[in-house]
Amino acid sequence: MTRAQRVLATAGVVAIGYSLLFFSILPVPLLEPEAVDSILPVLPWWALVTFGAYCLGRLGWHVMTIRDCPEAYHELMSEISAAKNDLRAKGVTVD
Amino acid sequence: MNPPSSTSKYSVILPTYNERKNLPIIIWLIAKTFTEHQLDWEIIVVDDASPDGTQEIAKQLIGVYGEDRILLKPRAGKLGLGTAYIHGLNFCTGEFVIIMDADFSHHPKFIPEFIKLQQTYNLDIVTGTRYRKTPTPRLADSVTPAGGVYGWDVKRKLISRGANIFADTVLSPGVSDLTGSFRLYRLPVLRHIISLAQSKGYVFQMEMMVRAQALGYTVGEVPITFVDRIYGDSKLGADEIVGYAKGVFQLFAGV
Repeated sequence: MTRAQRVLATAGVVAIGYSLLFFSILPVPLLEPEAVDSILPVLPWWALVTFGAYCLGRLGWHVMTIRDCPEAYHELMSEISAAKNDLRAKGVTVD
Repeated sequence: MNPPSSTSKYSVILPTYNERKNLPIIIWLIAKTFTEHQLDWEIIVVDDASPDGTQEIAKQLIGVYGEDRILLKPRAGKLGLGTAYIHGLNFCTGEFVIIMDADFSHHPKFIPEFIKLQQTYNLDIVTGTRYRKTPTPRLADSVTPAGGVYGWDVKRKLISRGANIFADTVLSPGVSDLTGSFRLYRLPVLRHIISLAQSKGYVFQMEMMVRAQALGYTVGEVPITFVDRIYGDSKLGADEIVGYAKGVFQLFAGV
């Protein structure tokens, strides 16, 4: 089963469950009807916005926390010089 | 960090195209790393008929390091990365294969760290990550902070991270750096995954990880420092971005 199939199947189950509650085919157990009426219709939109906010937050956080490594660059540059000298001594053509 | 000790042989496949300047240095660095850690090694240079004389330089290096250490296995033309690995695999005599770039963005000094993680947890695959600061699974004596990039401005970081998060959300691959190409594989594992792979370029690298996860292979990650493009510029256009998105969705629907 591909990932797409799994995701679609899960989405299908969630959609069916949501529809059953939305169309009052199944009762919502613990809340009063007025609360259910105000929450249930907006639940998908809430989920979408929350997901969007989560993704943006994650992006911002990760962009801020990628480590810069100038020391790696300098180390590499000096290693390249050492390598060039050593290789020239061994007869390899190094540009 | 305690150095790994291993009696296994490690084959490095180095696909090259016009790497006349970089090849001797990268081979020098790889050889130095393996010799310092007393590991058995070989490098397989898969050159796609470079017009700049890369193969000449490779032959000189064979003279310096020996025919058992450096193997030059050229191809007739520019045939792509995936097939370069497949071609190189035919000549590997090691139990493990390391793939990496020849342009210094991947530093061979991380190879012993890959090996150590692989041995500690008996992993099938170890991949380098630019986005984590500690290895996973955890290693007790790892140096922190580790990993990172050099040469990325904010825009590049945004694009890279955005692409990574997008792929991560769609594919949940279990690795933090999906497009990275600095990896250690057990030889039969690499053979198996490559035989199933269908994409090209960096999507190919993503596909390898996604397939590995789907097949149940164990994957670990080691933070690496990625020094980007010390020679030359990187261009990232709209075409590439669309291609990337398409690649991710193909993997989503296909694996």
